[in-house]
Amino acid sequence: MPIIELSDIYKTYRIGEVETRALDGVSLDFEPGEFSAVVGPSGSGKTTLLQIMGCLDKPDRGVVKLDGRDVTRLNADQRAELRRNVIGFIFQFFALIPVLDAYENVELPLLLAGVGARERRERTLEMLEAVGLSDRIHHRPNQLSGGQQQRVAIARALVKRPLVVLADEPTANLDTANGEQAMEIMQRLNEQTGTAFIFATHDPRVMKFARRTIHLVDGRVAENSAPPQVEAAAGGLFHPREHRG
Amino acid sequence: MTWTKLWMIAYRGLTRNRRRTFFTMLAVALGLALLITLNGYIAGVMEDGLQNSIRLQTGHVQVRAASYPEGKHSVQWKDLVERPEEVAARAMALPEVRAAAPILWLDAVLSTGDESIGLQVYGIDVASPLHDPLRASVIAGAFLDANDRSGVLMGGRLAQSLNLKVGDTVHLVTINANGEPVEAPFVIRGLFSSGVLVYDESVLFMPLARAQSFALTGNRASTVMIELHHREDAGKVAAGLAQPGLQALTWRDLNAFIIQSMDAAFSFYILMDAIVIMIVAVIIANTLLMAVFERVREIGILAALGMKRREILQMVLYEAALIALAGVVVGVALGLLGVFFLTQNGFVLGEMATTAGNLPMSNVIYARFAPDLFTWLAVWTFLIALLASLYPAWFAARLEPVRALHTE
Repeated sequence: MPIIELSDIYKTYRIGEVETRALDGVSLDFEPGEFSAVVGPSGSGKTTLLQIMGCLDKPDRGVVKLDGRDVTRLNADQRAELRRNVIGFIFQFFALIPVLDAYENVELPLLLAGVGARERRERTLEMLEAVGLSDRIHHRPNQLSGGQQQRVAIARALVKRPLVVLADEPTANLDTANGEQAMEIMQRLNEQTGTAFIFATHDPRVMKFARRTIHLVDGRVAENSAPPQVEAAAGGLFHPREHRG
Repeated sequence: MTWTKLWMIAYRGLTRNRRRTFFTMLAVALGLALLITLNGYIAGVMEDGLQNSIRLQTGHVQVRAASYPEGKHSVQWKDLVERPEEVAARAMALPEVRAAAPILWLDAVLSTGDESIGLQVYGIDVASPLHDPLRASVIAGAFLDANDRSGVLMGGRLAQSLNLKVGDTVHLVTINANGEPVEAPFVIRGLFSSGVLVYDESVLFMPLARAQSFALTGNRASTVMIELHHREDAGKVAAGLAQPGLQALTWRDLNAFIIQSMDAAFSFYILMDAIVIMIVAVIIANTLLMAVFERVREIGILAALGMKRREILQMVLYEAALIALAGVVVGVALGLLGVFFLTQNGFVLGEMATTAGNLPMSNVIYARFAPDLFTWLAVWTFLIALLASLYPAWFAARLEPVRALHTE
């Protein structure tokens, strides 16, 4: 069963008198363990699509199903509950909390999910180790490089063992080396954990890693390579479905 | 999400702009310190006036004839207490009573040859411990002797204004029990200073027996004045001394005007307290709103991570609570220091003390610790600060994650 099903999604933004159609009848499915890229030029609707899949925004029309459940009619708290337990986010500008150190930033989703102190500590340290930041756990974001900050963001997105990680332009603010490294880490974690990754990007470095590419143009799906057959994760860090709330 | 972690995030939120947090906390602290010091001083003023009135004018309980007129002195026999020493003895038998003695009040005109002045004459039982404070306040000459037929005790301030000294003779004129004017010469035996200027200017003491013979009241007295160990017992003692033809009045009855004045003054100060607390509230609301505006994007991140509106609301309220709590703790400490200073170093009113009308104020006023009042102020400052933070907290909680995330 797909983890995300989008059926005929429409979304229009109104700025003053001007209406902009961001999504124009998008229908897509995403399977567990995918490593896919939604690509397209600026204004093609990539970010809007990710926000709707991530329960950050609602479509004007159409149905979004997350793990088989229609999420379009949920209220703000119910959507927050889903974001807390099922969805991980990685943002272009890292979006770390500046007053919390690396450890606390990664720990935050577990706190929100009500995970016990001992397990919280174990999982936080495990994720920081997985992204190679065991020696930076007490550094605040302003004491970390851009690449390190994005690795903290990756750890934060994955620590709650989500069904899917939605990454919006994750390499846009990284140099080539750090961008490659971030993608390699995400690819490895995708393989180890079975968590699906969906990227919104127009960075060829990201597209190179993606096993499936969806092209959006003017809010419509222009091209959609077939969903890959994803093999079940062979153990490692965790399997996302074991720990969903 | 655990409360402790929400508190921690709130605390961290405050540390991002330490200077602003410090000055907001300081505004709360100084506002509260000002309120505590001022209210401590006002409590001191009010209590001083009440205590002076009880000490010098009313005592804690008085037993008078039921017909004794209110607001003026009468020496007509029907208005006086017969065998007042028996009433005093009954009062002294009560365990709550420290002292009790008859007093005869006369309205009189004092004449020195050059000048005349209206005043009140108190005929007192000079041996009674009721008058120990008066005995201790003699500043020149000697206290009265019970058998002295011509001696009076005069306020030092009155003597000074009339250019009189111990040993000088003055003439007193009063209306006696028959309604006839009588006049007699008296010698100033001593001068007193009660610390209440208005009292030192308008009261003259003489032995009870002499006052009774001067006004032809026989063995009668205007009142039996009673001093208690604890003023809270006044109602009980008054009830115990009531009998037909007599009225027993407590210090509350006798100082109704002062108590009403105190209540009116306190109402005014409550209004002033409210204004200061409101100013503090606006400062807190402004700080928190600025803090929320500054981190709209961060709140968007927290919402994206799954923090619910209620939790965002709580987080901002906790920030307010932390600032308010720190401000209240520092404010109480500073305020108590201010009150302590004013309990040690009184505020000299001088001549202003004579302008207080019916409130017998000392010429030096000290502040007073009023724990109930200070607690009330601290609690309200805290609560109003929290109330003021509701809008910024609500604003933060209502932010749409998508819009918040795209705010620079």
